[in-house]
Amino acid sequence: MGVSSPAALSPRPKPPGSHLAVPDRAKALSGLSRAAKPPASAPITRTPIDGGEADMAEQMNDALRSQFVSGARLGEGTYAIVYAGHYRHDPTKLVAIKKIKLNADFKDGIAMDAIREIKYLSELSHPNIIKLHAVFSTKDQNLSLVLEHLPLGDLEGLWKNKSITYSSADIKAWSNMLCQAIWFCHANHVLHRDIKGNNLLIAADNTVKLADFGLARSFADPGAKMTSNVITRFYRPPELLYGCLHYAGNADMWSVGCVIAELALRQFFLPSETDLQQLSVIIDVFGTPSEESWPGVGSLRYYQPPPNRSAVKLPQPLSWWRGRLPLLGDDGIDMVRGMLAMDPQKRLTAEQALQHRYWTSAPRPTKKENLPNEGGGMKKEGEDLKRKGGETPAGAGRVDKVARKLDFGGM
Amino acid sequence: MKLNEDDLYRTSTQFRQWSFTAEQLAAQRAKTNLQATERVKLNVARQRAQRVQAAELDSTSGNSGIDGSGANTPNAVTSDKEVDCLTVTEEMTFVEEFCERTMALGAHCKFSDNVIATCVQFLRRFYLYNSPMTYHAQNISRTAMFLAGKSESEHQSLDHFATNISSEKTKVTPEQILAPEYLIVQALRFNFDVKHPFRALKGGVLDMMSIANGKYEGPNHSIHKTAADLSTAIHQLPRKTGGLAAKATSQQLADRIMRESYSPAAQTLKKTAALTDVYFLYTPSQIWLAALLLADEPLVLFYLSVKMPSTSPVYEKVIVALRECALILSSHRSHQKLHLPADEQARMDAEHRAEVKRLIKKLKLCQDPDKLDLVKLNQAQKRDAVQGSDLDVHKAKRRKMDRENFQKDSDTFWGPELPTYGAKPA
Repeated sequence: MGVSSPAALSPRPKPPGSHLAVPDRAKALSGLSRAAKPPASAPITRTPIDGGEADMAEQMNDALRSQFVSGARLGEGTYAIVYAGHYRHDPTKLVAIKKIKLNADFKDGIAMDAIREIKYLSELSHPNIIKLHAVFSTKDQNLSLVLEHLPLGDLEGLWKNKSITYSSADIKAWSNMLCQAIWFCHANHVLHRDIKGNNLLIAADNTVKLADFGLARSFADPGAKMTSNVITRFYRPPELLYGCLHYAGNADMWSVGCVIAELALRQFFLPSETDLQQLSVIIDVFGTPSEESWPGVGSLRYYQPPPNRSAVKLPQPLSWWRGRLPLLGDDGIDMVRGMLAMDPQKRLTAEQALQHRYWTSAPRPTKKENLPNEGGGMKKEGEDLKRKGGETPAGAGRVDKVARKLDFGGM
Repeated sequence: MKLNEDDLYRTSTQFRQWSFTAEQLAAQRAKTNLQATERVKLNVARQRAQRVQAAELDSTSGNSGIDGSGANTPNAVTSDKEVDCLTVTEEMTFVEEFCERTMALGAHCKFSDNVIATCVQFLRRFYLYNSPMTYHAQNISRTAMFLAGKSESEHQSLDHFATNISSEKTKVTPEQILAPEYLIVQALRFNFDVKHPFRALKGGVLDMMSIANGKYEGPNHSIHKTAADLSTAIHQLPRKTGGLAAKATSQQLADRIMRESYSPAAQTLKKTAALTDVYFLYTPSQIWLAALLLADEPLVLFYLSVKMPSTSPVYEKVIVALRECALILSSHRSHQKLHLPADEQARMDAEHRAEVKRLIKKLKLCQDPDKLDLVKLNQAQKRDAVQGSDLDVHKAKRRKMDRENFQKDSDTFWGPELPTYGAKPA
């Protein structure tokens, strides 16, 4: 086999998977040592490091793990592998099991994403947030998250799928579920920090569920700094692009506005290639911010005043919005523009958004059972869950739009 | 649309998994202690037998010095006395001592109060299901601190943290910090969120200030109908329950709320609340109100009368719960000390230190010998998992294919592998 070849003398770079030699060797070595010692003597020569009987916590963990049966592999990403699964006592109760991979680049033990996701999903119990049934660890010290079974793809898949037609009433139904999810997060003092179409998964009954809490955090104490390097770029609000280190739920609300606009447009609403370009795309629509329109903008870290008068852009008028997002109607446009206020202080909060007249004006939101869907099946959830925060599916854009280049020092 | 705070709290892991009655707590601790005691005795007996066996082997082969480490400080195995295990009370004193040391460690590492408080609760939760006889608090507390930092978004890099907590006397390696991480998260049942009473205390005190300033707009169940009435009433509160009403100036009232009540209550929360069982027994709002009750009872009672009708049966229940919680806080050493003369304080401290010293010594002779080296234990566990053929067939196949494809590709590019001199066909 390849492993036994004299790799040290080879001029080649290391073949992929060659790092596996370590566990392989460990396996071989332990096999040897086992063979050298007759197994009969095992009880008395049991080394002091094998731990003896299980701890109480370990027993609880094992009991939990045995409640679930893991099935076919649905997908593998850089961050996790997703399996189909079900409860042992009831094979009709389906789940998705997300096994967090050990990250070779992160030398500091259990990954932050895993801790965040587990921490917040354990606390948030809401019909529009993906349910975390259980967490257990396996012998090889990998964490597994048992998540709700959400087989019908995600919101981004929906608007991209040209074989599906949908109406203003459908958009209203999906948007409302999104707003309720984010309202609940904020009411629990949790910032999601990565809201986008492909983190909004769809359950078998067409319920929209917010997923991927790998970037989430609690509201900071007033004055405490947070990183500005979060939220996938297309959905990142201007204050973060300007390097603002103090923000709150209003950062998420910008993303919510983008997602709703996207649903109506059936395209990315504010696509760009770089962070800098993202800002100019935003300014093209919303105008150049000034101290009058956005008090305090000038003191943000990366703010650059326009070089001259002619560089100052004016916000697009209502007619532009009507032309661009006809499916939202005037009330929908008003709400989305409220969510997309440049000045975070003027942006609608989740609670204000839920009180907007858009929800009560005609047309009424479509009933869940009548919503169109993709019928994607289990495989689709595998694709959705295996990503880590900030990743977008391949083909969504050529360039790296990843939010996750976290500077942990600045949190 | 408002979320009821009680409903929110009831869905939290702190309520669902980590709230107990005093009886449940005692029962769980007794169970943990019993299990650990049995295990320590069993493992010590086994290892002592092994030692005897090894010694016999060595004496026949002429080898000496089977155990270099235990020569001058005997541990449970090398001692010849019968193993004397810690009692539940002793375990608790010991854990409490390490909680205090952990607070100092956290401050030394410049973690926020929030991280430190979370870490202490991680420790207390961990030692509900584990005994310090099994896992020494010294090891566990460092890792818990590192983990609390990650969980509260104040991650310090492992290397930085390890250097930070190492001293000339004790060098701490990154491996030592990571070794019990899985052990801890498992014992925490993967619940990372800890709800603290600090922010609520701040909020409550600001709320009281708004009453004082006549700007209160919240619910009002008191006999004082308007914001102005409330303001007048709060200015006339007696300093002590049953004391005489005396009109205070606005400045005096502000001082009373912000300085004389808030500051000691905040101190009680930071120190005493963390060192007692109140997080297991009460909700964060009960805890902060109890801490404030100790500082200014008339103020808290007045505040409650505004927040809920005093005719309601719940009102009585709340007061009873607050008084019970306050009693736990005020009975704790760290709180009692505050009201004692300096020499009395010094005597209490000395007593405590002597007891801790005795426990540390005692623990040395009843520490589970199987769990001494967590780094090795951790490595062994991972190795076992690999042995247990976790590399499923699918993965292995794919990796083999990757390798073969790579070989093919590189053969076309680099040319085939050169024969190696002296290589013998295996």
